[in-house]
Amino acid sequence: MAEEKKLEVKDLRISFKTNNGKVQAVRDISFDLYKGETLAIVGESGSGKSVTSRAIMGILAGNAIKEGGKIIYGDKDLLKISEDEFHRIRGDKIAMIFQDPLSSLNPIMRIGQQLTEAMILKNKAARSESKKALGRMFNALDSKMKAAGVEDGREDLVKFKTFGAVHSKLQSEYTAAKDYAIEALANAENLVLRLENKAINGIAQDFAKFDHAAKGSISRFVVYEDAEELKKLLDTLKKEEAEAKKTKEYSHLISDLKRSAEIFTRAIEKDEPNTFTLAYYLAFVDKNIPEQPIAEMNEMTHKRIEVDYMDAFMEKAQKGVEYSVKETNEARKAAIKLLREKVSVLEKENPDVKETKAAVKEMKDAVIKCLDPLEVAKDSETHTFATSIDYAVDFYFGGFKKNANEEKRYNKQKAKHDRLTASGKTPDWEVAMPSYINMDAAHKDMVDTVNDMIKHFEQQLKNNENADYPARTLEVVDYLKEQAELSVYKITKSVAKERAIKLMENVGIDNPRRRFRQYPFEFSGGMRQRIVIAIALTANPDILICDEPTTALDVTIQAQILELINDLKKQRNLSVIFITHDLGVVANMADRIAVMYAGKIVEYGTADDIFYDPAHPYTWALLSSVPDLDTKEKLASIPGTPPNMIYPPKGDAFAERNVYALEIDFEEQPPMFKISDTHYAATWLLHPDAPKLQKPEVITERIERMKRTRGNNDVREQ
Amino acid sequence: MSENNNDVLLKVEHLSMYFGRGKAVNKAVNDVSFDIKKGEVFGLVGESGCGKTTTGRTIIRLYDATAGSVYFKGERIVAGTGHYLDEIKELREKIKQLSSDSSDHSKEIDEAKERIAELKKEVSQAKKDHKNADRKLVNKIQMIYQDPIASLDPRMTIKEIVAEGLQIQGVKDKAYIEQQVIKMLETVGLVSEHATRYPHEFSGGQRQRIGIARAIIMKPELIIADEPISALDVSIRAQVINLLNDLCKSMGLTILFIAHDLSVVKYFSNRIGVMYYGNMVELAESDELFRHPLHPYTRSLLSAIPLPDPHTEKGRERIRYNPLTDHKYSTEKPEFREVCPGHFVRCTLEEFDEYVKKVQE
Repeated sequence: MAEEKKLEVKDLRISFKTNNGKVQAVRDISFDLYKGETLAIVGESGSGKSVTSRAIMGILAGNAIKEGGKIIYGDKDLLKISEDEFHRIRGDKIAMIFQDPLSSLNPIMRIGQQLTEAMILKNKAARSESKKALGRMFNALDSKMKAAGVEDGREDLVKFKTFGAVHSKLQSEYTAAKDYAIEALANAENLVLRLENKAINGIAQDFAKFDHAAKGSISRFVVYEDAEELKKLLDTLKKEEAEAKKTKEYSHLISDLKRSAEIFTRAIEKDEPNTFTLAYYLAFVDKNIPEQPIAEMNEMTHKRIEVDYMDAFMEKAQKGVEYSVKETNEARKAAIKLLREKVSVLEKENPDVKETKAAVKEMKDAVIKCLDPLEVAKDSETHTFATSIDYAVDFYFGGFKKNANEEKRYNKQKAKHDRLTASGKTPDWEVAMPSYINMDAAHKDMVDTVNDMIKHFEQQLKNNENADYPARTLEVVDYLKEQAELSVYKITKSVAKERAIKLMENVGIDNPRRRFRQYPFEFSGGMRQRIVIAIALTANPDILICDEPTTALDVTIQAQILELINDLKKQRNLSVIFITHDLGVVANMADRIAVMYAGKIVEYGTADDIFYDPAHPYTWALLSSVPDLDTKEKLASIPGTPPNMIYPPKGDAFAERNVYALEIDFEEQPPMFKISDTHYAATWLLHPDAPKLQKPEVITERIERMKRTRGNNDVREQ
Repeated sequence: MSENNNDVLLKVEHLSMYFGRGKAVNKAVNDVSFDIKKGEVFGLVGESGCGKTTTGRTIIRLYDATAGSVYFKGERIVAGTGHYLDEIKELREKIKQLSSDSSDHSKEIDEAKERIAELKKEVSQAKKDHKNADRKLVNKIQMIYQDPIASLDPRMTIKEIVAEGLQIQGVKDKAYIEQQVIKMLETVGLVSEHATRYPHEFSGGQRQRIGIARAIIMKPELIIADEPISALDVSIRAQVINLLNDLCKSMGLTILFIAHDLSVVKYFSNRIGVMYYGNMVELAESDELFRHPLHPYTRSLLSAIPLPDPHTEKGRERIRYNPLTDHKYSTEKPEFREVCPGHFVRCTLEEFDEYVKKVQE
């Protein structure tokens, strides 16, 4: 199975501006997140785990500087998109669970309101979004089909579009009628109860309500076969009600109400019509709804679309797709040529501002032409090229001015400080160190952006040589269908409530209907964390970021919450980023683990790699400082504290606290050494010239023990 | 419990601590008994809200106990009157009933009255004991708090913080105080330069060390460590545990270690008491407890420990504890019984037999 990359973090660099200088919180980290996997990020506090997750969510503190790198989600670079664009991703696509369930719920809102609020708002936004996406794709396909010389393609597509309106009408008709039927049933039962107990004060109002609901329920898909009977029943009920007022005799009323209740029960239990396929049918085949039982109708309409209509349409659409791919390939070839030419302008020692900007403009225009409008999986590199290059160029040329300003400020403050000290005073403030922008890195970043683009285009051209056109066409059509469906999918308040209650059940809250109306203070810590998880799941996100979700909870509750997150991950095929400092927690959850220290990833591998074959001394130290149930000897603690990230160490950041440090560790930063296809670690110990070192005894012993117990288990299983 | 009283440092008898009164009474600690031997580390575990911290705070007299008593080195330092008052109430009602009865119960009534008089004496004795408990003795118990940030006054220097206890005790010799403070800071692995700094200048682990220095400067014999590592990072946890371990050996300290992290408690404690909703449900040597967990709550707690081993973790099955279905307390009240030497479980007689069989296997 080819795994789908959900999120890609590349060379991320984030700093914070403080009074004492620039704190380099995250330094050049890269990782990928695949669909349906859990990536755990482990490290001490201050190692940059939370900063990374906050950067992904776009909720960094105001003094953060995004110095470089990319966070690519879908077709967007999350570091560079606007706040408006982020609104569509945050919470909707990427959701987060925070550490403290106490402070992440609003104390004066009912739980139910907090759960449904986002659902309703997000649905509204999603509908208009899909409508736009549908229109865009539709127009693109239309123009390409025309260009490819397909006859009457236009007609088919227009049908494709009008179907949306038909569908929404059908759906609202059906849901409204069904809601009415449910309400009428409840009203009828209530009336029977009241009449039987002779509680008739103000019963006329209830009758009016029932009458209204019952009339509303008559529709093609709900009360249909029994519609005539129901109408008659309603008439007689009216007469009988008037009579009963005088005679105080209710038996007729009761029996008639019971009869109508039967009708409603039957109507509610009916099959649900497939409004989607039916809408196709109405739009393409026949304007009238066929006279068939609903199940048969569903089957018939389904067949009509998938087989009879789709085959013909697909053939036409494929021509459009083929044309489009060829066109973009030509554009790409042209773009590569242009980029190669123009990159020399940027590569100069001291590029000129005007010249560079002109070259960049040409490059951007050429790259934009390479966008295939019929591509469903968005080509993120091409999409983000314009913003990336603009950002890099601005950063580079702006850097000169910023560095000059910084220098000026530093000199001024230093002079003042010196003056004061010279006059014999001890000033109670210190001069903040200058934080210069690394101009070489900025220049390289600029050039690399272009070179990466060229490489990417070449790769794409290669991929397109043997393109599978039918598969691509199917993708396009599926996309159109999906967007058409989404654009008419409406979440009303009652639907939202039902969904919220289902979610609450999913996350293990008993009696959700009662809980729905309670306030956060009526929940215990574990229950609150469940609510927070439920809220995170309301918008059906792809990625769930858990920032130490169990640190504030105790062992039993922690185990429950971990199990819950694991179950939800499996059910919904979520990708999870799990941040923690407790390696024990991670063993249960993670598919892959990244160990972070001082803003860098020091080791990266599958859970088995990290626990059974740790390679970095920091991972050893982390593992051996956690006692397990058999630990007897003195715990190995990590001496000292993490380095001050205003002045990050020159060599390996962990060298000072590392008993296994080599001389080179203090001089030069180790690169990532590859241990196996999945396992990487940044330590000089893995260099072929390094002395062969044994892992600490605690760890080897524990691994041995774990292997033994596992062996026993395996034997038992057999 | 233990016959040999010589090496029992702290003895807790039927200790209860209720908050609120009337119908809204919250039984935070309900009839808890245990003893701590000299030089051992006694672990107290349970989920949040089960009364571990309240137990610790009642022992050190931060709360006035509702009932029961605590003996430290043989002297009663905490005495509650609840049990006596309850019994008096019962007896009075009994007298009322008996006297309203037609037949002659004068003998029983007299007996009851005598008992009431006795109990009243006990009550006044307990009140007196509680009020006049030897302050010097109570000072030999010190506490380390959970949150190293919140438990240090941000406006006092480290020297002031550490020396405060001595000053309150009336030590006036400044040179002596200074010398003691520096000695204590060095004992916990800080240096004398740190004495003039403020708490915000220290990292979490160092702050917890200051908390420990503040406790040991009083030369305590018993330290109540209330979740001292829960708020710390993994690597720093190990530092603090090692420090406590060393102090335990070098100063002959006895520690009541309150925590919810079972693997740490197992590593650190000689004996462990498991609490659930104000009751002590199981008490045993730590190895014994992990080898033969008897009470269903203990078993569920043990099954929830996360381990740094992916393979066992993935195959782990958590045991759920539901007190309503796991016990038949409606027919018989559970009591704290000794299943095998040194291993106590709160159970009914029926369960008791079952447990004894299990242990013998």
